[in-house]
Amino acid sequence: MTLFHGSNPLKTKSKIGTKKAKKNEPHSRSLTSDISHQPGPEKPIAVILGESPMVEVFAELCAAHGYRVAAALNNTPSGIKFSSPGIDMIREIPAQASVAIELTNLDLEHKKKNLERLSGAGSPSMPILSSSITVTATEQSLWIERRHRLLGIAAFPTLLAKPLMEVAPTIFSPKETVEAAAYFFQTLGIGTEIVQDRIGMVIPRILCRLVNEALFAVMEDHASPQDIDKAVQIGIGLPAGLIGWAERIGWSQICAVLDAIYNDTHEERYRAAPLLKHMALTGNWWNKQV
Amino acid sequence: MVKHLGIVGAGQLGTALAKLAILNSIEIHLYDINETILRRSIEQIKSDFRQAVQQKNLSSEQSLAALELLKTRTSLPDLGHCDIIIEAVVEDTRVKKDLFKHLDADNKIATILATTSPSMLVSSVGSAARYTERIIGFHFFGQAASSELVEIIPNINTPAGIINDAAALIRMIGKTSVIVKDIPGAIVERTSHIIYNEALCLSIDQTAGEGQIDNLVRQNMGLPLGPFQKMDVVGIDTVLATGESIYDQSNGDPRFRPPGIIRQMVEAGLTGQKNGKGFYRYGNPQ
Repeated sequence: MTLFHGSNPLKTKSKIGTKKAKKNEPHSRSLTSDISHQPGPEKPIAVILGESPMVEVFAELCAAHGYRVAAALNNTPSGIKFSSPGIDMIREIPAQASVAIELTNLDLEHKKKNLERLSGAGSPSMPILSSSITVTATEQSLWIERRHRLLGIAAFPTLLAKPLMEVAPTIFSPKETVEAAAYFFQTLGIGTEIVQDRIGMVIPRILCRLVNEALFAVMEDHASPQDIDKAVQIGIGLPAGLIGWAERIGWSQICAVLDAIYNDTHEERYRAAPLLKHMALTGNWWNKQV
Repeated sequence: MVKHLGIVGAGQLGTALAKLAILNSIEIHLYDINETILRRSIEQIKSDFRQAVQQKNLSSEQSLAALELLKTRTSLPDLGHCDIIIEAVVEDTRVKKDLFKHLDADNKIATILATTSPSMLVSSVGSAARYTERIIGFHFFGQAASSELVEIIPNINTPAGIINDAAALIRMIGKTSVIVKDIPGAIVERTSHIIYNEALCLSIDQTAGEGQIDNLVRQNMGLPLGPFQKMDVVGIDTVLATGESIYDQSNGDPRFRPPGIIRQMVEAGLTGQKNGKGFYRYGNPQ
């Protein structure tokens, strides 16, 4: 089976490509020297800023793959306990940081502050990998100096440790930054897909759309949340169901992605279901007795 | 407790359901207006059983006992004593409506009448009948109802007792049921079409290519096939027909509008795996 590119009207000539994760592959490109595992006592430092629980999940992943991690959570005091050694909660960005990851989807003012902190830190070639599912990577790159260092990633709760990471270059991204990002994810055992810089990217957009429809179905009493999950698990093969998966992602994250896509496109299909908004605000189902 | 099950239509779905039912000790009254189709259906079941006996998945005693429960019928009134009658006839509104009108007149009032239409609303199929409360929908999935899941679609005025009896039948044939209101596409088809439509839009606006989207959906969402692969397998013409049906029956709700490209593909003869060309190219068309 080959992808059809004959007279297929959906033919695209996008700069697409998959880079599968190959662990321990040597890399000699200049920019990746910032994050390559050098022999000796010094481990490369990954700076991770952003929202809980994504920061904790990604910090543990990086630490498990040989990085020293310097982490900071938005609006959260220090004192988080990590199970892996080599993770420090920080106030200042370490000067010798090799790679920076910004994981904020909800509070864009805070995201901007985080990126401004990262803007002057690290080497001129240190990649800044920033979640770009609620604001494009291109817009984010305009907030910082040395904008060639920034790339968008599909950082979304439950997707951070999946086999593939979506990476969105901006118009300022040189090939070297993209390769450095691919190398970084490769060291974590994660492959990359290079996609266009669009709000929602690919999987968060599909997933949030599906959850939204599931919430419309619950709201309109088409089926129970349990039956919806059973139907999509057995009938479609979605292992986690939709409601169950959404509960692990967090309702406010889903609502934020849909709101961002709706504001960007004004397409009716991205308008968040009233029940989804309610879940994002309260975390609880509607009380049917009222 | 369902003792007698009527099945109208001895095509692929009717044959598969008859086989499942007799293997689970339910007496089947398999009706078809065409005796040749009926004979072919019986031969298919016998052949499948012979193979299962050879492969030691079924004993010859079990096979014989099951076949004893299989009765063929060429007259609709002969289904009068059945507890549930399932229609598995061609996907044509007029044919289904006519059938339900006849069944409604010929069968005792306690009989549940079930449609298997994947795209029509149960209320629409049953609209010609007098006693609409006993008309429900069963959505089976996979080739020859191979999926474990069945969606049970009650009519707007179906009482709980009928839904419970329908769920009991589904349990008896070894499947799992969910109850879904009579909405276009129910849960499974509706969800599938949202995935297809979003994937098509992502490809059209060049967020990612078809192969990339398939790869991401498989690897990061855990689905067995990506949306473009799935559309090719299902048939792009079928995806178009079902997608447009869901959209039309939802009174043109933009949430369910299929992207125009899907119609263009069908008109250009790109219908998927069956003719060798769809989103992917296949060496041996089916």
